[in-house]
Amino acid sequence: MKKGFNRREFLKRTSGAAIATMAAGAPFASLLSSCESSGIKSTADSVILLFMAGGMAHTETFDPKKYTPFQKGMESKEVLSTFPGIPTSLDGINFSEGLESIAKIMDKGTLIRSYVAADLGHILHTRHQYHFHTCYEPPQSVVVPHLGSWISKEKGPLNPVIPSFINIGQRFTVGEGEELKAFHSAGFLGSEHGPFLIPDPTSGLESVRPPVGMSSMRFESRNKLYEDLISAGPMGEFGSDYQKESLKRSMEQAYILLNSPEAKAFDLSLEPEKSYDKYNTSKFGLGCLLAKRLVDQGARYITVTTEYEPFFGWDTHDNGHTRLKDMKKMIDSPIAQLISDLDESGRLDRTLVIVASEFSRDMLTEGRPGLKVKDQVNVPDIIEDMKNYGMHRHFTDGCSMLLFGGGIKRGHVFGKTADERPCKTIENPIKIDSIHQTIYHALGIAPDTNYEIERRPFYTTPDGHGKVEYGLLNENLKA
Amino acid sequence: MISKPINKRLITSLFVICMMGITPVIGQNLMMDESESFWLWDFFGRLHPMIVHFPIALLIFGAVLELLSVRKFQSKFRPGISLLVIAGSLSAILSAIFGYQLANAEGTTGATLDLHQQIGIGTAILSFILLFLLYRVGKKPAENSRIIVFRSILFFTAIAVSVTGHFGGSLTHGEDFLTETFPWNQDENSIEKTPINLAVYQAELNPEREMKLIGEVRMVFAHNCYKCHSGAKIEGELRLDEKEFAFAGGENGEVIIPGNPRESELIRRINLRKGHKEVMPSKGELLSAQEKELLALWIEKGAPWPDDAPQQSIYRVAELAPRRPILPRSKSGLANPIDIWVDDYFAKNRLEWSEPVDDRTYLRRIYLDVIGLIPSPEELEEFYQDPRENKREIWLKSLLDRDGDYAVHWLTFWNDALRNDYTGTGYITNGRFNITDWLYKSLEVNKPYDQFVKELLNPTEKSKGFIEGIRWRGTVNASQRTEMQAAQNVGQVILGLNLKCASCHDSFISDWKLEESYAFANIFADSTLEISRCEQPIGKMADTRILWEELGDIDSAASRSEKLKQLAENLVQPSNGRMYRTIVNRIWKQMMGRGLVEPVDEMDNEPWSQDLLDWLATEFVDNGYDLKNLIYQIGTSKIYQAESISYNSPDLILADDYRFSGAVRKRLTAEQFSDAVSQLVYPLFKKEDLKYNPEELNPEKGAKLDYARASLVANNSFLTALGRPNREIVSTSRDSQASLLQALELTNGTVLDSALRSGAKIWKSNYETTEKLTEALYMKALNRKPLDKELAVAKATMGEVPEEEQIQDFIWAVLLLPEFQLIY
Repeated sequence: MKKGFNRREFLKRTSGAAIATMAAGAPFASLLSSCESSGIKSTADSVILLFMAGGMAHTETFDPKKYTPFQKGMESKEVLSTFPGIPTSLDGINFSEGLESIAKIMDKGTLIRSYVAADLGHILHTRHQYHFHTCYEPPQSVVVPHLGSWISKEKGPLNPVIPSFINIGQRFTVGEGEELKAFHSAGFLGSEHGPFLIPDPTSGLESVRPPVGMSSMRFESRNKLYEDLISAGPMGEFGSDYQKESLKRSMEQAYILLNSPEAKAFDLSLEPEKSYDKYNTSKFGLGCLLAKRLVDQGARYITVTTEYEPFFGWDTHDNGHTRLKDMKKMIDSPIAQLISDLDESGRLDRTLVIVASEFSRDMLTEGRPGLKVKDQVNVPDIIEDMKNYGMHRHFTDGCSMLLFGGGIKRGHVFGKTADERPCKTIENPIKIDSIHQTIYHALGIAPDTNYEIERRPFYTTPDGHGKVEYGLLNENLKA
Repeated sequence: MISKPINKRLITSLFVICMMGITPVIGQNLMMDESESFWLWDFFGRLHPMIVHFPIALLIFGAVLELLSVRKFQSKFRPGISLLVIAGSLSAILSAIFGYQLANAEGTTGATLDLHQQIGIGTAILSFILLFLLYRVGKKPAENSRIIVFRSILFFTAIAVSVTGHFGGSLTHGEDFLTETFPWNQDENSIEKTPINLAVYQAELNPEREMKLIGEVRMVFAHNCYKCHSGAKIEGELRLDEKEFAFAGGENGEVIIPGNPRESELIRRINLRKGHKEVMPSKGELLSAQEKELLALWIEKGAPWPDDAPQQSIYRVAELAPRRPILPRSKSGLANPIDIWVDDYFAKNRLEWSEPVDDRTYLRRIYLDVIGLIPSPEELEEFYQDPRENKREIWLKSLLDRDGDYAVHWLTFWNDALRNDYTGTGYITNGRFNITDWLYKSLEVNKPYDQFVKELLNPTEKSKGFIEGIRWRGTVNASQRTEMQAAQNVGQVILGLNLKCASCHDSFISDWKLEESYAFANIFADSTLEISRCEQPIGKMADTRILWEELGDIDSAASRSEKLKQLAENLVQPSNGRMYRTIVNRIWKQMMGRGLVEPVDEMDNEPWSQDLLDWLATEFVDNGYDLKNLIYQIGTSKIYQAESISYNSPDLILADDYRFSGAVRKRLTAEQFSDAVSQLVYPLFKKEDLKYNPEELNPEKGAKLDYARASLVANNSFLTALGRPNREIVSTSRDSQASLLQALELTNGTVLDSALRSGAKIWKSNYETTEKLTEALYMKALNRKPLDKELAVAKATMGEVPEEEQIQDFIWAVLLLPEFQLIY
């Protein structure tokens, strides 16, 4: 065969229109995209990402190793796990003590023990989080979209009055706040696909109702006043230009959203007390509750985070053991409850729930074995003090992740880490591009989805890399 | 049923003819040898262009008759249809066979030919089927399903034969043969050719001249010959797009005999008269006398073609050098050269001037465009009362003289472009440097643009932030190292060039190569960079070079500061027309809503008026690189003072076939909107929020404001929602459309809401009645009195004496009116 049109020619041919739409804020689906509809049968309508921000040690949570209780004068290299293991509903699979509730429902999903985070050198949490959430390593020459923005762009809202990308629990006034902002963005997909931010789940309602102190009657009459002034004004003579129309349209949408009955989903005080209490371990727990309520009303993509703040939460630079007791208490009951509630209501089948962290931790290794990076915590060889007992270094070579629902196998374990230090991945390593592609696949988004940005194609994952991991999906759903 | 016997007899006899045609094809394929093919078969091949007309005419006519008899199958046309289908189908099959023969014999290849061939063979197959179906419907006329199948295939074949014919036509007449007659495609073809200075090449050629010469030669090839003699379509086995192919010649041997133009086939062909069957180019215009001379001269000089001569582009590449177009004579008393150019453009494009705007609209425009604020009712009144004929010029000048306000407003534009902000990634690890102080002061004194660029490129401690880039902790992709960021950002902002693609691999959106990007990035490096392709080092060190060698050399052995000095000096020289076109285009866009070239970072794209762009750029240089002067020139033009144009969709503004007809409407930026709210209602940002306070610089100078202007505070969720970019990367245009998240922020966000609460108190105490309040608000916000209808709405809502809450709601509604939010 003689050569047909090559990629370069395609780009050339489409560039005019592409530039036009790009600059207008709406990216242009390049011809490299397979089609409008991907032809993939979706297994999920909604995604909830429960993000363990700050680096959750796999050996202290979902992949426990040999338990070495604290003793003054112990050698730090002996310590693999600081908690004993407990059985789970999966045969031969143990979790770390403190995760009893999740252990009971693990038969409803898949446990990944072999997530391998990227090597980005001297570690900065937010840089790894940026990579985790966008699949691109910062910095980039364009503003890349968050996972939630891609899903919003490709799938749109499930219910038109629930924003399609909701982010619960993260404030941006914390340390590394600017870095956090950098990836909580729709980037080139346009601000309409940006995150709807609810830093505090208990005040989620405030974002979707009339301004505090404004009665709904007053809100309605204000809106009417606005419409009356528009029609009384001379703006008609300025023609039907798009800037004017888009402003009117957005104002209408905002009014509908703020006035809709679905907004009640944001109001946690409407939840029955019994149920509320099961989630009420923390801001994170209530975030899980809010996520459940929103998915019930047709939310598309939600992140609930334990919240990243340097040296807080999972970011244990000291007192790791003590802190992890609290962290596990914070997540165990709400996560298990969320899965059970979704399963009971039948929504779990079409809702993909992911529990993940940007990387893991270890007591000794910073970075990855063989690719050690600059240490950030001084770990003594001999532990004299309880504050040194815990996983205080950042470890990228073996992290645990849980997946439930939305086409994911039930009662399955994927991948394995070594039982001896450095406890790194030894079976089925899986990287972030595969994770993203698998999520997109479950939603029916084609792996080669891309847009032309500044005349270059940008894919959901860098250059469209990363294979769907069919090993995580139900057998009968394999392509 | 007379048709039946005819059918049979005809089909058989015509089949025989067909088989005669197939024989040579089969024969040739069976022989598979290198020898010349039999003359008769070549002759049949040559019949293809004649015979193809039969199936097109016959089948389409047949299909039309079939359409006419769609109600009743056995219409009076039936026998005719049958005949047409038979003859049409058979001629289609024959055409396909002859065509195949022709393609083999003439050795033509290419993408269009492939398409033509494949669809043609498809048509022949359809014709076979059609004959069979015709035979079936002839047998049993009553069967409905057969009729339907027959008809569908007939229509389908008619379409297929038309498509085949179209591509065939494209092959013989050129791809744009049909479309170039359309009025909207007309003047694209008449781009004035820049004259070639042949005298330069008459003398002895040095390597530099050789390179220039081959460049010119290849430009002629690219524009006149590539259509049929390059990778896309290779006629006569000749390709002129690469050296080895060009010298290898075509099916009839060499076409270039170095040193001997008389013997060179290429020269003979291009000098034949139009219409001669061997003339080249065989389609379209002949070469100009100068182009012919150039090619002859080149061959006479031994056809030098240095191996490193750059490929002539399939991408549009803008001229680097400045150009001074000669201003046409003013026809209708226009004084401002911008208007003379626009008038010239309007005349050529048969466009009309829109009406001039009134004083109110003009004043609002220049206030927002120059200092970012809405004029006060007092200022507007003073303007109305100003009796001077040239009051618009005078007022514009006085706004430009408000140095502080001008600097605060334009800080927004430059912060976006130079991705400078008070907060953002990188600061946390000392990997980023703020240049606000330098930038503000540069704007305040209206630093000449050449000096401005020099200080960015060869910076002081205060201006180094732009080229130092943003460095995150950890290891970073090679294509995002700070030196490469500098190359990309300087390319994008200063030169209107996208190097992002070529920072990772050879670009596939332009001709820029990886090594060129690295050579440019190397100027910003302390030690020589190693080239990486797609993150893999290729074991080669980068050169040190400016992207255009015409702009001069950089001493690769020099220190970084010396290299930067050389870069700065070389880039700002007036001969770098590209840099000055880029800046005048950006300022034009700020004022007129759309660049002469779009996107403004892609200066290789075609401007809607090359003359105006070139004129503005050289004028800018002549006027001492004076940005305020440029703004003044645009702001005093008749076209700036004409009514803005409304568009239904943003796509139309950036469409390929965009025709300029006047200013495009703009939305208030986040900063303009915020400042207006602070001014009208209540300060959105307090003095404590200031991240940079110009008043501290010159306490005695500049207007004192009781609020913090939005360009001087850190980015926040309110400003972000309204479109202030997160300045992690260069950003040179903002979204002109509203979004839901934006509307939500304005509808129930606390920032605006609390300003309304506090502001309503003040308004209530200042205005006793609804009427007075409404008049004052409309004057301040919209610079006009309310209409009676509007006043009626206000009274219906608030009664005669407004309550505080009602005032809040009323102000809110006015702030969200499109009339307030747009600069029209």
